[in-house]
Amino acid sequence: MLERWKIVLLLSPALVIIAGLFLGGLILGLIGSLGYMPLLGREEFNLNAYRNILASERFYLSFLLTFYIAFTSTVIASLLAIGAALILRRSFIGRSVINFLFQINLTVPHLVGAVGILYLFSQSGFFARLAYEFEIITKPSEFPALIYDPLAIGIILQYVWKEVPFIGLILLANMQTIGRDYEAAARVLGASRWQCFRHVLLPLLFPGLLAAAMIVFAFTFGAYEIPALLGQNYPSALPVLAYQAFTDVDLNARPEALAMGMIIALLSVIMIFGYAHLARRYVRS
Amino acid sequence: MSRYQSTELTIWSRLFLLATFFAVLLPLSAHSTERANYKNWDEVIAAAKGGTVNWFMWGGADNINQYVSEYIGGALKQRYDITLKRIGINDTAEAVNAVLGEKQAGVNDDGSVDLIWINGGNFRTMKQGNLLFCGYHDLLPNNQLVNWQDQSIANDFGLAVDECEVPWNRAQFAFAYDSARTKNPPESIPALIEWAQKNPGEFTYPAATDFNGSVFIRHVFYHAAGGPSSLLGDFDQQKFDAIAPKAWAILNDMKPYLWREGKTYPNSIANLAQLFANREVALYFDYDPAIFGINVENGIFPETTRSFVLEDGTIGNTNYVAIPYNSPNKAAAMVTANFLLSFDAQFEKAKTNVWGAAPAIDIDRLTEDQRNLFAKLPRHPSVIAPSVLSAKALPELHPDWISAIEKGWQYNVAK
Amino acid sequence: MRILPAVMCDLEKELEVKRQRIESGEGLSWLTWFSLILLISWLILPLIPLAVWSISRSWFFPDITPSAYSLRAWSYVFSNTSEVLPALGVTTLIAFCATIVSAVIGVPAGRALGLYQFRGKAAIELLILAPTIVPGIAVALGLHVVFLNIGLAGSYLGVLIVHLIPTLPYMVLVMAGVFANYNPNTEAQARSLGASAIQTFYYVTLPAILPGLLIGSLFTFLVSWSQYILTLLIGGGRVVTLPLLLFNFASAGRNDITGAISMIYILPGVVLLLLGARHLTGRNSAAESLRQI
Repeated sequence: MLERWKIVLLLSPALVIIAGLFLGGLILGLIGSLGYMPLLGREEFNLNAYRNILASERFYLSFLLTFYIAFTSTVIASLLAIGAALILRRSFIGRSVINFLFQINLTVPHLVGAVGILYLFSQSGFFARLAYEFEIITKPSEFPALIYDPLAIGIILQYVWKEVPFIGLILLANMQTIGRDYEAAARVLGASRWQCFRHVLLPLLFPGLLAAAMIVFAFTFGAYEIPALLGQNYPSALPVLAYQAFTDVDLNARPEALAMGMIIALLSVIMIFGYAHLARRYVRS
Repeated sequence: MSRYQSTELTIWSRLFLLATFFAVLLPLSAHSTERANYKNWDEVIAAAKGGTVNWFMWGGADNINQYVSEYIGGALKQRYDITLKRIGINDTAEAVNAVLGEKQAGVNDDGSVDLIWINGGNFRTMKQGNLLFCGYHDLLPNNQLVNWQDQSIANDFGLAVDECEVPWNRAQFAFAYDSARTKNPPESIPALIEWAQKNPGEFTYPAATDFNGSVFIRHVFYHAAGGPSSLLGDFDQQKFDAIAPKAWAILNDMKPYLWREGKTYPNSIANLAQLFANREVALYFDYDPAIFGINVENGIFPETTRSFVLEDGTIGNTNYVAIPYNSPNKAAAMVTANFLLSFDAQFEKAKTNVWGAAPAIDIDRLTEDQRNLFAKLPRHPSVIAPSVLSAKALPELHPDWISAIEKGWQYNVAK
Repeated sequence: MRILPAVMCDLEKELEVKRQRIESGEGLSWLTWFSLILLISWLILPLIPLAVWSISRSWFFPDITPSAYSLRAWSYVFSNTSEVLPALGVTTLIAFCATIVSAVIGVPAGRALGLYQFRGKAAIELLILAPTIVPGIAVALGLHVVFLNIGLAGSYLGVLIVHLIPTLPYMVLVMAGVFANYNPNTEAQARSLGASAIQTFYYVTLPAILPGLLIGSLFTFLVSWSQYILTLLIGGGRVVTLPLLLFNFASAGRNDITGAISMIYILPGVVLLLLGARHLTGRNSAAESLRQI
């Protein structure tokens, strides 16, 4: 009984804050998205905002774009992170320096990375200038469009840039816990390096990788500033669309902004449950 | 008889409607009567003492930031003991939205915004939403330097100012090109259309969501309409429907010859500036030609940048500062607005090494010495002479026209 | 998998050799080195043009290096007008406070989740995990009106509070991982030897959880430090942090000033990393905690 109270006491401050701010914010957002704005004299609930959103082509295009960006960035970053972690766990001369360099952009804010990517990859950026220097192109427009482009390559490059060290470090930490015994045993038993990785290490790493990938996916799905800076104007990423609607000088657009926020939140919740389901199934098998 | 009676009834019913209208409106605009608190300017100055003004304005130009923070802020502190806080925003709509949000949340006398650099659609939103503090012009001593007879000052994008904002700058759309690269820039809309076809990929304009992109599209619209005269006044759907298809056809015909074949447009005028700076496109334009000189001085544009105006004319506007209805520092904001109109502040702002912005005050109303100072101001070689520019000035459209054009562009051209 | 240890007994010697080879003996082949260098340069590369831009005056296509250099951007950044230094202070202060508050609230919660089994634990874990997954923008849009009403919008306190939404869960999750490997019996022993509750915490608990706490704090600090949209929405432009200024100039195309602000913006993070790097990847329990995220 005493322990029970202790647990409640230990947990309650965190729960009050998370429930109050997080759930509170979501509930308020939901109410607002239903058009309830008492101070403007709107006291009834309706689904107009959702109806408007779901009827607009722009929303679907934005959704597809956002999903595509998040998915592609997460997959590429995960693959590169696995490779990086496999190398970095070995001992070699200069490992600590390389490790430090590997972690450095973990501390670099996304916005700074986005500007850096812009200066490197725009049609008049550093790489375009190199291409000109080597006479591959004669003017900027001959350089492939990587920023403000329909395939959102600049945005994906930025996320990959930022998230490889994040996923990589989580994988490294996992690898340390797992240790080498299983792999060593597999090798002794005649497994090739690839088999050893594919059938021994990867399954052990998978839960950690999945968790990291989910955080990255959710983050890239809900981030505003990167697509706002590197994205093309139509269609724009979902959070950009939501923020634009929220700051629209027409207050009627506000419920739509909140509704988009709700849809973003709903999709994230679905992902959490999907993750929990996957993880549970994995543990069982 | 019956006819006579019915007319009379209509008059009475109209009066009744009007009375109801005011009865509903008055409580909403109760703030407008606050000016009665101040009988004269001295009282305003006394009330402003020690106050703080949160001035929300676009924050992406270091020279404007410097002028406002250092020159205006310094003078206000020294002369009136007012603290000026410049709040840099990315878009004026953010400030409008902040006031709107406060009204929605019931924050009616302790708002966060004291002054906004504003005009056009944002002004319309605030005025129509009763979000502005109005009716204080006769209190401001420097108001007499403003020529309110000038319709382009008395109306902000076709909407009457009605003492709800104070003019700050005048601006007129102009083009820029690099004289070292481009020999004969196109000096009219038809010439531009032809030029774009001959120089594929060398021209583009920002999307209609950008202030400057929108005004470029209006120039094409004026061309399609054979001049602005038929478009002035309130929005007219029939006229719009008659002209719009022509304008969209021009812009769509141009599309394959634009930068990136018109598949995408720059998000903002800053993006267009980057494209121009890096020779991705050959032409740049801006609603404020002073920016050409500033960009050259900042090393963004090449020194061989020159500017020109379209033969068929370019659109001009006045931009203003406005005080939100829920500003807690209205007196200090009024003193700030008044100081912005002063000869000192307007002259400083007109210097090419400071900003080079055209004054909103009427130079003829200044003393002879002051007039001479203005006359002797050197012009930046990259910036078109104000007299050449103003000779080709075209009026702005009513905001309803503008939003119809912007929406139409999104729907008919952008896709 | 479970039978592997048994197999290992037979092959112990051979196994040991293999293990060592995986761990260190092989070194890196040139191809591995090449890809490693490529990866690291790719990670560092975007920072270079920022640094160069900050000291350039004009740098047009197709010049590989700027045609004119100038320290104007830096002098603007250090001027009173730019408010970069006050913004640096505000950004640091908010991140620091968010870290402290997250630690004070997150450590007990992490202890409860790490040490005890109780009914509803899974649900509580899910609730705490949720804010790391549900984007902050969805929550902040809803909170905005209420924050306006109670006068928290546009205030440092309001921004600090809203930063807790993404930071606190990280701290709780990291600390739950730390406490999962923690033995509370040492506390009981200390108490039985006469130590007070405070002494026990300071001399027994804190040293044991410190590496994990530092990692959690580093993450918390960085999450708050990088925050843009929550600060913009709730701060309403009046709480000026570095990312807001950076976005201003980046979207206005002032590459030189953007570069200079970026340099200032990344400096504290790099310093923190230098101080905390060995805790991040060293072979200690701290690395464990990262696994929990």
